[in-house]
Amino acid sequence: MSAVQPSGEVPGKPAVTEPRGGPTVLRIMLGNQLRRLREAGGITPDEAGYEIRGSRSKISRIEHGRVGFKERDVEDLLTLYGVTDEDLRASMLTLARQANTPGWWAKYNDVLPVWFEPYLGLETAASLIRSFELQFVHGLFQTEDYARAVTILGYGPGAIDEIERRVSVRVRRQAVLTSADPPRVWFVIDEAALRRPIGGRQVMRAQLKHLLEAATLPNVTIQVVPFRRGGHAAAGGSFTILRFAAPDLPDVVYLEHLTSALYLDDRRDVDHYMEVMNRLSAEAHTPVATTRFLKEIIQEI
Amino acid sequence: MTSEGSPPATDRGDGTAPRPHEAALDIDTSVAHVARVYDYWLGGKDNFSADRVAGDQAIQAYPDIVYSVRANRAFLARTVRYLAGEAGIRQFLDIGTGIPTANNTHEVAQDVAPGSNVVYVDNDPVVLTHARALLVSGMQGNTNYIDADLRDTGRILAEAALTLDFSRPVAIMLMAILQHIDEAEDPYAIVDSLLAAVPPGSYLAISHPAADIETEAMAQMAERLNKLMAEKVTFRTRPQVARFFEGLDLVKPGMVRVQEWRPASEIEAKSPAALWGGVGRKP
Repeated sequence: MSAVQPSGEVPGKPAVTEPRGGPTVLRIMLGNQLRRLREAGGITPDEAGYEIRGSRSKISRIEHGRVGFKERDVEDLLTLYGVTDEDLRASMLTLARQANTPGWWAKYNDVLPVWFEPYLGLETAASLIRSFELQFVHGLFQTEDYARAVTILGYGPGAIDEIERRVSVRVRRQAVLTSADPPRVWFVIDEAALRRPIGGRQVMRAQLKHLLEAATLPNVTIQVVPFRRGGHAAAGGSFTILRFAAPDLPDVVYLEHLTSALYLDDRRDVDHYMEVMNRLSAEAHTPVATTRFLKEIIQEI
Repeated sequence: MTSEGSPPATDRGDGTAPRPHEAALDIDTSVAHVARVYDYWLGGKDNFSADRVAGDQAIQAYPDIVYSVRANRAFLARTVRYLAGEAGIRQFLDIGTGIPTANNTHEVAQDVAPGSNVVYVDNDPVVLTHARALLVSGMQGNTNYIDADLRDTGRILAEAALTLDFSRPVAIMLMAILQHIDEAEDPYAIVDSLLAAVPPGSYLAISHPAADIETEAMAQMAERLNKLMAEKVTFRTRPQVARFFEGLDLVKPGMVRVQEWRPASEIEAKSPAALWGGVGRKP
């Protein structure tokens, strides 16, 4: 994947360079590592699955980082793959333990859909977040009032308590933006998402002002696609691409639906979405023009 | 995390989803493009399948290419640091920007000398996308971007004049780009026309892949790249690269391997890299 490790090189060193927090990414890293070791040993997923009293689909889940790791499974797999180096074994087991530590979002799991939790893990750990938003302002930039309005739209008025917990997850997510080592955030927003007065005019005006302010952060780039540029409809819907600092980790495309989400990390999928994202960015206003544009909309709303 | 075979959401199932290459903006990722191949060698992730194939082919022929490109980036940073510092230059024309990464010209220049103005030029639409969004003018000085080909010096100079004052010294940066101009297109005339537009006291900084270092591996790599890439390459010998500096005063240590040009450490000086590099001053 990375040019510094030409293919064919024996995978060896475990990825102990720690990514910014989050068990999700640790699981993906460890899964990747296990897959490479398995492939280097010429072992099929079936054989590996048998070794840990499971099937090939259990191996697939492990290698894609979708499940937590049992230490015993990791140990057995390493033995099967012929990994005898004690240091390597120890660091991979440490990684497995860390990957089983719950993230900050665990305590909200009563209000979070299961399919959304991995996204929080990825977002927390990403070094670059690129997103195209067609309907709403992205969760990372929502004001509390706007988030509340969006939540009620999505889940209905329901219990106040639950709504507030969902809102607080959104606000908690934003801490990453101003952390010591913040991700680079590059968002393309469709004009529609800015014109639709979610929560009423006042809430929306405050939300747009918040966006203007966010755009002044050195790690944040915001570009608006105005109505009069049409071609971008090719995107079909909102999507987010997450990139991680570790060279081993592939970019992940996140697509959210009403009741589920897709996480794509196959290179062909990612390449396709990256091309669309690049095109959207090229069609969108520059950051400077976006600032002017936002100010105009605030006036008009 | 893969999709388990589900179609991506842009596929509406009726075959009407336009493919990216049909878009108005001409981002053709089906052929390897130099900026993205370079990004791949640097360990970046802004590259596509064709770029990775070409990049791997080159790595097989000349494995040290991955160190070469890093040494070239380091050379760029050291020359800009020298130009903005010791040489007192405040205006930079950087042709062949590439995909923005760490230590971009404007960051180094504006770090040494706040108020420095930088104009970038590249012809890759992916570079354009990144540059429009990320190379933003700030308190530290103006940064602008021109979407143009190096061969089109007239347009480059005309548009650059909107940001740079050509009555004052300018540093012209041509880092690992002249190899894309073959003899028939007369790279020397291109460099001359750029130099003619800047006043005495201006500088020219060049790095150029060598035909006479690691001769066999480099020739192999050139051959492979020329089969796969949109832009062809012509690597040059030391005397051929030195010709670009004719009529200029070469800054010490003269034209050397890029890693030996004022290295920051002994380790840096020993990094394998097959590029010639130098900085010259227009008298």
